Amino acid sequence: MSVEHVLTTCPYCGTGCYFFLQVVDGRLVGVVPCKTDEISLGRLCIKGYNAHAFVQHPDRLKHPMIRIDGELKPVSWDDALGRFAEELRRIREKHGPDSIAILASAKCTNEDNYLFQKLARAVVGTNNVDHCARLCHASTVTGLLYSFGSGAMTNTVPEFEKADCILVTGSNTLEAHPLIGSRILRALDRGAKVIVIDPRDTPLSRLATIKLNQISGTDIAWINGMIKLIIDEGLYDEDFVNARTEAFEELKEAVKGYNLAKVESITGIPGQMLAEAARVYAKSKKAMVAYAMGVTQHSNGTDLVKALANLSMVTGHIGKESTGLNPLRGQCNVQGACDAGGLPNLFPGYQRVDDKSARAKFEAAWGVRLPEKPGLTLTCAIEEAAAGKLKAMVVFGENVMLSDPDLNHVEEALKKLELLVVADIFPTETIKFAHIVLPAACYAEKDGTFTSTDRAIRVLRKAVDPPGEALPDWQIACDIGRRLGSKGFEFSSSAQIMDEMASVTPIYAGIDHARADNTVLRWPCPAKDHPGTRILHTQKFTKGLGTFAPVHHSPPAEETSEDYPLILTTGRNLFQYHTGTMTRRSPKLEREAPEPYAEVNRADAKRLGVSDGERVMVSSRRGSIALKARVTERIIQGSIFIPFHYAEAAANRLTNAALDPDSKIPEFKVCAVRLEKA
Amino acid sequence: MSDLGKKLASIAFDELGADYLLAMREEHGNVAPVMLARGQDPGEIRLDVPYQLVNILSNIYPWLKDGKVAVVTRRCDEKALEEFFKRELFDPRRILKIGLACSKEQVAKCRCSDPVPAKTHIGEPQKAMEKDELSEKLMAMPPEERLRFWAYQFKKCNKCFACTLTCPVCFCDECILEEKTFVPEPGIPPGMSFHLIRAYHLADKCIECGECERSCPAEIPLLTLRKLLAKDVKEIFGFAPGDRKTVSPLLTVLEEGCNEC
Repeated sequence: MSVEHVLTTCPYCGTGCYFFLQVVDGRLVGVVPCKTDEISLGRLCIKGYNAHAFVQHPDRLKHPMIRIDGELKPVSWDDALGRFAEELRRIREKHGPDSIAILASAKCTNEDNYLFQKLARAVVGTNNVDHCARLCHASTVTGLLYSFGSGAMTNTVPEFEKADCILVTGSNTLEAHPLIGSRILRALDRGAKVIVIDPRDTPLSRLATIKLNQISGTDIAWINGMIKLIIDEGLYDEDFVNARTEAFEELKEAVKGYNLAKVESITGIPGQMLAEAARVYAKSKKAMVAYAMGVTQHSNGTDLVKALANLSMVTGHIGKESTGLNPLRGQCNVQGACDAGGLPNLFPGYQRVDDKSARAKFEAAWGVRLPEKPGLTLTCAIEEAAAGKLKAMVVFGENVMLSDPDLNHVEEALKKLELLVVADIFPTETIKFAHIVLPAACYAEKDGTFTSTDRAIRVLRKAVDPPGEALPDWQIACDIGRRLGSKGFEFSSSAQIMDEMASVTPIYAGIDHARADNTVLRWPCPAKDHPGTRILHTQKFTKGLGTFAPVHHSPPAEETSEDYPLILTTGRNLFQYHTGTMTRRSPKLEREAPEPYAEVNRADAKRLGVSDGERVMVSSRRGSIALKARVTERIIQGSIFIPFHYAEAAANRLTNAALDPDSKIPEFKVCAVRLEKA
Repeated sequence: MSDLGKKLASIAFDELGADYLLAMREEHGNVAPVMLARGQDPGEIRLDVPYQLVNILSNIYPWLKDGKVAVVTRRCDEKALEEFFKRELFDPRRILKIGLACSKEQVAKCRCSDPVPAKTHIGEPQKAMEKDELSEKLMAMPPEERLRFWAYQFKKCNKCFACTLTCPVCFCDECILEEKTFVPEPGIPPGMSFHLIRAYHLADKCIECGECERSCPAEIPLLTLRKLLAKDVKEIFGFAPGDRKTVSPLLTVLEEGCNEC
């Protein structure tokens, strides 16, 4: 009889809560919070408490499969990987390395992701490696690299509770990052002022000191309006602006036209209320901004992120305890997948592939010539596949057939591929199109590390064996690397992979599994005796001086019309997670939110003759879905909200694949739709 | 092996004759619940972190085929165990208690009125706290203001179910809080009925361990809510939970021939 409590990291959002998996004789029986964990403080959300529920589900993929005569048939690992290697080699020879793309995964470990990008770059010979960060915070990475030189949270999760003012925009924090939301509640209870600016009423906005609803896609207008007022009223931090930043005159010029009346006409936010919010934020001693997909998922997402960076810099609210700009990352390891180089233009640690010296370093470390041309983003890879130029896609733990915009188009693209290999834990919508399927171990079945949203290295410890023949992703990557003739995949543990990653990644240089095991280390951690970094940009910005970016409001890519008069915005709810692969197989979570719905404002519903609970059809220029209407005051008039978790009414059949030009993130947050009775 | 570990192992395995020991110890820079078999090294035992071990045991118990388990029990854990024994959910012959007297700080945090175990093996017994400041403050408020206080607190609820999941005396197989008739509102916060149903459900069971309050991400003062209700139950029915020999006054025995239900 063996009973174990295995300390590991939650596989849902990017907060990085530790908890214990309770294991009795190899059976997962529950989750126990870790009371001494500095992130979670011994608390969890409903997803965390149910994080054991899907692990030993009968639907888990247990054997490798190859599609034979249209059907997936179980085969041996040797056959599956043999075919995989053979096909990859054939396609590379026939169409060149850039006809192949590898999708890394924000659900896999740092070590897994390091190998995925190494496989693409050093073995296939392409920079075509990307992952779903493209769909969530790509614009944060591009925007903040421009403004500050580093695209990550400037502060840590615990610091939220000590702030005097927290401005939350485009983040439904209590539902999407519950334990960060809980820190904001602690701040609120202490008397801090919480400002929420969002087109929807969220559980947090209903408790906020100031709550403002803007029309989706008008954010740069209110941010510029705030900055103008702050400058005009002399509330900006002159010393900080002079000493730490550049291009202030350009900023001043850019925001000149954004007076309160004009901003109100664009955003719908009453001028005086915006002014009040601006004053509260600017005057607070310690002020934090938290933002998420509501900011990033726009066709001008990069500009929007830069606008928020302008706001933090002009007030000097950055680089200090409980003071900064904080993108909340939504997946357990989306930060780490970016850090580990799962991006088409960046090596591990944000070193550019088109930088000669960076490339030379990796060439020396890996002993191969590396491609210099930045690769395809996830969104562009789908385009290229649809155009017949991309021939093979290798997907580690992503469900593009539900998570990507304009699914009808994604489906066409996937069908055109000569080779689609998917490694995953469950039979997903994407697997329906796969030629080879590989069963992967999930978070509870392997060792490794995640990097949480506040740059902390969180440790995963194996609690149970994977089902059937499933293997950890890093082992799959090693095997395929060796079969393709590479010598750089001789690893016998994930700790060894981290050692190699640390040796080529300056911000991770001081990190190894032994250190991370009992200490919370946050990058940059440049040496083995370095304690890690809690707050970024304290003395100077990563790039030196912070750069103000003159950015302007522009309308979303798709505006409403007579045929499509409503704005659709998409997102998460508390109980489901992303494409539902895990949560919909967790009974307690599925029970809370079992079916798709569209939130419709009461006045719109009345006008359209739709009552609460009635079935409706929602259509955009790209497709239609049928689902229930949830009539509510929680969304502004003229907009509807649909969560993107449900395959049976996939919101992404409707969304627009219009891309931000810099970051190639799609505009999930705005598209024009029509709603009618089904 | 630390001195505390040695002492605990000796009490559990030599003195009490247990097969397993359920305690806490330091692991990976944190403190973890740990179940040790006889002969295993207990390592760095830590008893200063208030894990609710009886609740942790209740998760494991159905899988434990045989053997006796020694559990580190505070006074509240002892009372929780009594409620388990009363309902025949645990076999009392298989559960052995290692009494832990809570520290002064812990007693203060729990505003605990009953902190000393029946037999203290470890720790120094501390004086009870006679009052909960928040309870007194609330009862001094006009009812409208008190309602506003609780309405705000419940609005912070994010429906994580920690208050039921970490509660040692939440026994029901089917939870009424998961029943749509009683908690109808979709999404969050779940509405006041959620909290009031739960409070009433625990009126004759709650042993005031405070784990619900400690586990609440919204820091709703749930222990105060429990204490207020416990006070009423004591005053009205002269009943307090935590003794296997007493029967709850809230259990109604229907007369034969009643067709009401």
